[in-house]
This record gives sequence, C-alpha cells and structure tokens, in this order.
Amino acid sequence: MSGEPAAATERLFFREAIGRALREEMRIDPRRIVMGQDVGAFGGSYREFEGLFAEFGASRVRDTPVAEAAMVGIGVGAAAAGLRPLVSVTYMDFIMLGLDPLVNYGAKLRYKTGGRLTAPVIVKTTSGARGQGVAHSQCVEAWLMSVPGLKVVAPSNPADAYGLMKAAFLEEGPIVYVDHKRLFPIPGEVPLAATVTPLGLAAVLRRGTDLTIVTHSFMTRTAMEAATAMSAQGVSCEVVDLRSLAPLDIATVSASVRRTGALLTLEEGQVTCGVGTEVAAQVQQRLGPIPVARVGALAAPVSSNPVLEAACLPDAPRVVSAAVALLGRRRSDAPRPVSRKS
Amino acid sequence: MIYKITVPTVAEDVEEIRVLEWHGAAGQDFRAGELVVELETHKALVEVRAGQSGVLRRVLCQDGEWAKVGIPLALFSDDAVEPLPENAELARDLAVDFVVD
Repeated sequence: MSGEPAAATERLFFREAIGRALREEMRIDPRRIVMGQDVGAFGGSYREFEGLFAEFGASRVRDTPVAEAAMVGIGVGAAAAGLRPLVSVTYMDFIMLGLDPLVNYGAKLRYKTGGRLTAPVIVKTTSGARGQGVAHSQCVEAWLMSVPGLKVVAPSNPADAYGLMKAAFLEEGPIVYVDHKRLFPIPGEVPLAATVTPLGLAAVLRRGTDLTIVTHSFMTRTAMEAATAMSAQGVSCEVVDLRSLAPLDIATVSASVRRTGALLTLEEGQVTCGVGTEVAAQVQQRLGPIPVARVGALAAPVSSNPVLEAACLPDAPRVVSAAVALLGRRRSDAPRPVSRKS
Repeated sequence: MIYKITVPTVAEDVEEIRVLEWHGAAGQDFRAGELVVELETHKALVEVRAGQSGVLRRVLCQDGEWAKVGIPLALFSDDAVEPLPENAELARDLAVDFVVD
C-alpha cells in the first residue's frame, strides 16, 4: 500500500512460489529442463508450471506419456549426460515405478563411477490425501530417506517451496522434492530477493517448554493447530518443521528435545519405519532414553471414502491425545519424592 | 439499504483468495446477472455476479490484493447517496451468484 516502506516479500500461492523458482533457475542455466505429464501448455496439474512452456518452449518444457519409469529413467540419464532436469511425477504413489532408475542408477552413479559421473536430477512429486483414494494419496517419503546418495526435501509453506527448489537446483546428485496437495491452496510471504533454503536445516515454527513436536509438509499445520489447542490447556509445545528429510537436521531436533524433555513425531505417512521412527532413534542416540510418541496414519490404505480417509489420517485431536498420554506417562515415570512418615 | 460482497467459500481447503479484477468502479450501477469481480484461487477463477441490482459504492480490496474467506470485498447500496457504515461487516450480504471456472 502507498505510504508504507517497500515490502521485502511478496504474497504468493504455493504453486506460484514453485513456479517462480523454476523460472529463475531456467533463465540462469539453459541445461535446466522440465519434463512430466501435463507440464507443457497445460501448466501442470496444480498450475505450478504455468508460463514455463510459453517462455522456454517445447524443447525445455516437455510433456511425457504416463510412464514414470521411463520419465525418471530419462531424467537420470539426461542428468548424467549433462542436463539439469526436473522430472514431475504428479502423484507420489507413482514414484514407485521410477525407483529403479532413481535408486539403482541415479543415487549410486557418483559412487559407481568414482565421481566421474553424477546425476543432478530433481524428481518433484505431490503427496497427501485429499479424496483421491488408495493409489493417489500416499506419503512414502520415509522410504526414500534410507537410500544412500539420495536427498529428500518437503516444504510446508510457499517460502520454503521456493527456497528448497532453489537449493535443489544447486545439488550435484539426485533429490526428491515432495510437496502436498493440501498445501497448494495456501498462500504465504516469499522473499523478493533470490533466497536459498539450505538443505539439512530444520525450522522451529513455535517455541515451547513441555514437549517437542517434530513434523514436516502439510502436517506442520496440524501440529500448529494441536499446539494452539494444548496451549489453552496449559501445555507449551515447541514445533519443529524438518523441511529436509535427507539430510536430517537432528542437531536442531535434539537441542529442542533437550530443553522440553519429550518428543512427539507427526507425519501423514505410516509410523512403522517412518520419518518419526528415524528421528526418535537418532534423538535417543544423542540424548539417551526420553519419552517418545509417534503419530501417523493408521496401518490401512487411504480410502476415497471421506469418512474412512479422515479416520485413517492424523489430525489435531489425535495429536493432542497422544501428547497428553505422553506427558502423563512422563509424570508417572518421574522419581517420586520420598514421603515422610508422620 | 447497504450491502456487502464477501469472499465466498469456493472450495474445500481454500482459506484465502486474490482479487484478479473488478469490473466496475465506485458509483457504477450493476444489474442482476452482471459480472462484478473476478477472484483467483490457487487453481480456479471465480466469477462473482450480482444477484440483485445495486450501486457499487466502495471497493475494500483492490485488484491484486488478498482476502480471507468471509472478508468484505466491497459495499453496495440500493441508492447512490446512502451514507456508508463505518464497519462494513455490519452490512447485509448482497445476493450474488458465483461460478468457479
């Protein structure tokens, strides 16, 4: 507005933050290309590629058939041959088809060739449940964290969507960029200046003293909602957004848990071998035994039936009840003062 | 009578929209069915049409500005000289039709 100092940020939809990063990076380097289903004139399923086809043309913004194994394979190969491709796998469920080229070739290429070849490819994919059923809803980012040579990021807001995409383009190896269907409707402030969100750096979204909630992607909103609800009950939660899953910023998480004394992990994917399981194990390695609760989806497929979908997914009330149980347990485990006999 | 247009609930998960373009300025008469303003969500354009006739009196959220669902975007009145209230929230809702494209 007039009369106010110029803002250092602009308000963008999540998709616009992704689009801005892509546009800037493609202008800098002609080796940067985009490929995927409907990324061309259509502009992407979430309009995140809008304008790129008009600006950079069909040779750099390439529509592909519905063939994820081939798309990821071509992306890894093109990266090894000198391009800097971004491959868009619209729904994360279908990254499964691309795991052979991504894991067996892309992630191992530098090691296998003694550093002569690398595969700087970004696989961008959209996770999360929103009414689309068993094969268009999953969050399988935890599977990818265990692949040596593969990096994984998951922004929770437009600023990080922009900053982590900028960071992804600086990588010399493969990286999976995981966004989420339910983040797309949400706008947020993005720095006007070109800004990189460093990999492996978590963000503390809320300070608290009683409990640390560690989460990522859309579940940061659920965590913040739960933290607000608990604050009304006198429980002070710290909320840590991992932002980057591989590498994992266990130093920030551990420092927080050392202060609060309890850890609750929250993710939309499965808890078994999940992001939270890894976080909890690494924190306990550093700090010794601490009270931990893991919250995630129930061990069931995500239904397209909205009642069953909601039943499967974690929400704020479920986080609150897990936190209350965890803190209750901590109190009952604590050494009790010796009662004086009268 | 003074009326307001507010940001409609256009889709699940949409909490905030951006005003794309007003199709008129303060003082302009609108008849039922005429396009008043276009709004933008993350995915869709929303055409907001007058559901009754009225005079656009004051635009509260300009082209390119953001507003959350339920926030007043503009004031209308039956008559071009009726005094406007200090608090737009108190005005009645103008009948509108909206189409999500």
